[in-house]
Amino acid sequence: MLARLGGIDRRWIFLAMGLSIAVPILLKLRFPEVPGPMAKATFNAIESVPEGSRVLLSFDYDPGSAGELQPMANAIVHHCAARGHKIVFMALWPLGKQMAEGTIKDVLLEFHPTYTYGKDYVQLGYKAGNEAVVKLMATNVPQQYSTDAAGAALASLPIVADLAKLADFKLIASLSAGYPGAKEWVQYANSADPEAFKVISGSTGVQVSQLLPYYPAQMEGMLVAVKGAAEYEMLVTAKYPSSEKPALLAERLGQGRVRMGPQLVAHLLMIGLIILGNVAMVAGRARGGAR
Amino acid sequence: MNPHQKSHEQTSSLPPSATPSAPPSATPAATPSAPTPARPNHRFLWISLSVLGASLTVLGTAMAAQQQGTDVALATVALSKSIGTWCAALLTIGILTFLYRDNPFYKVCESILIGVSAAYWMVNGFWSTLVPNLFGKLMPGVVRDVAIPSLPVSATPGFDMALAFVPLLLGLMLLWRLSPKGGWISVWPLAFIIGTTAGIRLVASIEADLLAQASATIRPLVVFKETVLVGGIGAGSTTTSDPSVAMAASVQALDFWGTVGAVTGVVGVLSVLTYFFFSLEHKGAVGKSARLGVWFLMITFGSAFGLTVMGRITLLAQRLEFLFKDWMGIS
Repeated sequence: MLARLGGIDRRWIFLAMGLSIAVPILLKLRFPEVPGPMAKATFNAIESVPEGSRVLLSFDYDPGSAGELQPMANAIVHHCAARGHKIVFMALWPLGKQMAEGTIKDVLLEFHPTYTYGKDYVQLGYKAGNEAVVKLMATNVPQQYSTDAAGAALASLPIVADLAKLADFKLIASLSAGYPGAKEWVQYANSADPEAFKVISGSTGVQVSQLLPYYPAQMEGMLVAVKGAAEYEMLVTAKYPSSEKPALLAERLGQGRVRMGPQLVAHLLMIGLIILGNVAMVAGRARGGAR
Repeated sequence: MNPHQKSHEQTSSLPPSATPSAPPSATPAATPSAPTPARPNHRFLWISLSVLGASLTVLGTAMAAQQQGTDVALATVALSKSIGTWCAALLTIGILTFLYRDNPFYKVCESILIGVSAAYWMVNGFWSTLVPNLFGKLMPGVVRDVAIPSLPVSATPGFDMALAFVPLLLGLMLLWRLSPKGGWISVWPLAFIIGTTAGIRLVASIEADLLAQASATIRPLVVFKETVLVGGIGAGSTTTSDPSVAMAASVQALDFWGTVGAVTGVVGVLSVLTYFFFSLEHKGAVGKSARLGVWFLMITFGSAFGLTVMGRITLLAQRLEFLFKDWMGIS
């Protein structure tokens, strides 16, 4: 039996893994999340900024990482808007602008209809240049972004009319899937002026080990993969519920928690398979030794 | 690695019956002395997949019908969105079919992905970099009339134009690599790119990674946390019910887990650094420290792998959510 397990066709494992993710999604399996210190730190960083502050949200990812980062983006935008912050959207990734547009439509304008373009939020869009974009923005934002994404001059938009450099923001949040992303914001923005603003990030699981050393000294808050998104969603929806559209808010700011159900089942399956594989290997070796 | 190469390697690891292109001479009949490999029966796998697909389709249709039954009159068909959803769903399924085996459907989906990505990057690079940063400086009037009406008016157009010839020249020199002769010309702009990139990154790395990280590592090994005591006696032991009378005081208590974290951090940094220190032979105390460093590294790699797995599961969950909700109508 154990020998057969060792030689099992890997496609059965793929099938089991697919089912372990599909079934919890269909059954809407959810588990309560207890917010961890990093999610709390991220939440507190946005809370600690005075109401109505100007914040910069950089969408440094594309659809390939939306599964992990879009829930964070939705929750951060709702949180910032609930606090009345003026939100400046930008992107270091070409498709980041489209991801930001989705969040603006699905969350910002849906739950905060009073937000006006140019006055309460603005979309600067994508700029090529990776870390050079951040480096130039640290000293001269208008030189990097002379217009918004639609081509309107920054001077004509009240929210950014007096924007000169990154130090004019109170908080910078990078939703980061890799290079360029949160690491570059720490290296080129935070290092240039560590006291001027807070830096927080939402990161994909793959990138977390690179960013962890920056927390909490250089990065005040950090959301770690979909688990961090789920914890942060709980904090935000608990403090800032929607009285008009509670069901829609639960859906739009519940994606992280929805994706944690499959995580649990899939991880249990994986742990079981690792144990089973090792038992099969040890048994095989023991049998070989006995011969 | 070439994706085709990878797929062939992966295919070759499958049992013989799973590789339809295997030559006839490789069949067991041609080598009677060799033990006959057991032909795995994939019928059950196919049946399982078919049953799963059919079940999900039926379930989805039933749930969608149940949900939409009441407001069917309000339903409208958005053709472009429907086509987009079907394309995305078929491409998703096409890519997932590789899990069973390499097949033409997967190849088509893979080629579409590569082609669309390359084209997107090319077009995006042209419009977001070349047009505003190069052509916009060389011929601002034309660019303003044809492409970007909101192109900012420069106070020094002549200077900007002269300056733009530098990247133009470097770009042309870089493209010289494609020429059969004078390939060395492309080395000069390449050297410029490497030099400037190294210069930009060096300063940032020293500030953010070396100095700041070293500073963050130098911290007290024993951590205390401040605890506010009401009444100055002990938490919850105030003798008065009037909060205004209660006296607040704070004491420093040992933060056990904070201390463990601080010690672990410092020991981890030192032992891993020892592992990468090759001027001394890894024997005795140095060897033990290096060995401990290996353990720290292994734990780090393990946690990174775990987080990567979490990310990949999330990606699959998101695609399945899309298939169930947006494509099949199960909400």
